Amino acid sequence: MIYSFWIFDRHCNCIFEREWTLANSNNTNAMGNGTINSKQNDEVGKLLYGMIFSLNSVTQKLSSSLSENQINNNIRSISTGKFRIHTMQTATGLWFILVTDFKQQNYSQVLQYIYSHIYVKYVVHNLLSPYDFALNPKEQRGQGIKRINNRHFINSLEAFLQPMLT
Amino acid sequence: MGIEAILIINKSGGLIYHRSFTSPQVDPSNPTITSTTKHTLNSNDLLILASTLHSVFAISSQITPKALQLSQSNINYTIPYHPYVGVANPQTTPKNNMPTKYGSFKGDDYFKEPFHNWNKSGLKQLSTDQFTMYIYQTMTGLKFVAISSSVLPSGTGSGENNNNAGANTVNINGSQYNMGSQIADNLLRKVYCVYSDYVMKDPFYSLEMPIKSDLFDDRVKSLIDHLL
Repeated sequence: MIYSFWIFDRHCNCIFEREWTLANSNNTNAMGNGTINSKQNDEVGKLLYGMIFSLNSVTQKLSSSLSENQINNNIRSISTGKFRIHTMQTATGLWFILVTDFKQQNYSQVLQYIYSHIYVKYVVHNLLSPYDFALNPKEQRGQGIKRINNRHFINSLEAFLQPMLT
Repeated sequence: MGIEAILIINKSGGLIYHRSFTSPQVDPSNPTITSTTKHTLNSNDLLILASTLHSVFAISSQITPKALQLSQSNINYTIPYHPYVGVANPQTTPKNNMPTKYGSFKGDDYFKEPFHNWNKSGLKQLSTDQFTMYIYQTMTGLKFVAISSSVLPSGTGSGENNNNAGANTVNINGSQYNMGSQIADNLLRKVYCVYSDYVMKDPFYSLEMPIKSDLFDDRVKSLIDHLL
């Protein structure tokens, strides 16, 4: 079961958020359950990103001591007693984050697919979409950000993740 | 599953024990916090690691998904018992190789029943490209951390795979993945047993302070050595 999906940009801002709340309900409307880019989830997004960011900086330090080859040592998943967080970082500094239950362990292919087939297709290749979601170029502390509100992106993401919701 | 390091974090987030097992020969004269065999991490970095893990515990309960908060689904927190994790199995090893039993450890295994996991909303496992970190939290807030060199089986697929193929491969790995977590919990609970015997019963140990006990070191070492 998938609980939520997040995209954070390189300014540490949440640029897309989708949370499913009632995955089991027989809602015919594809957008029916859950929220997209909800204001209520702002704080949760900050906590989630802060947790991943601080853990990632710690593991980067550990990696250089545990092995000689200095390859990237990014976080792939974080488990708590209740749920599991899967992460993927792209070369451009975007974080793709999926919060799920314990049934599946490896969502890296799913995240990779979302990035390469949905994000790149509908957001990167879209001429009308900004290439950077911050409102001003010196953006640092979340003064102004845009969210991904692209209808095609949302629809195809929904269609792709729908089978995994239950 | 090779254990690379064991850390113990006290309830206020301070690192009270650290031991690395990466090098085969650990300096026996000084195997406590000060002994950094080939670690380039200095003690300051380790303290940062410990307090980061501690603070993430508080955060992770805040980010519980709404679906979980609403459904109140009863997750089973019982961890199954795996026999002879970190202890020589009497069926397969000759008697003379058995570890000497002292302290309150009388049987051939420390405990023989499934146990309850107190770590309900905190961090339990952290997987990166190079290692996996398992955390066992006790009822009193003490955290036992094991850093293992095993990593998740990587998704080698190019991302072209459709959903169903992904789900099939994942199901097979899923049991194995949970197994690793269960074995780590079993092992860390034994470290906790050893801790209660050799640290808590030490009259010269002051609470919340770094552990400097040779007996405890020996027992932890033998647990790691007997780990399959």
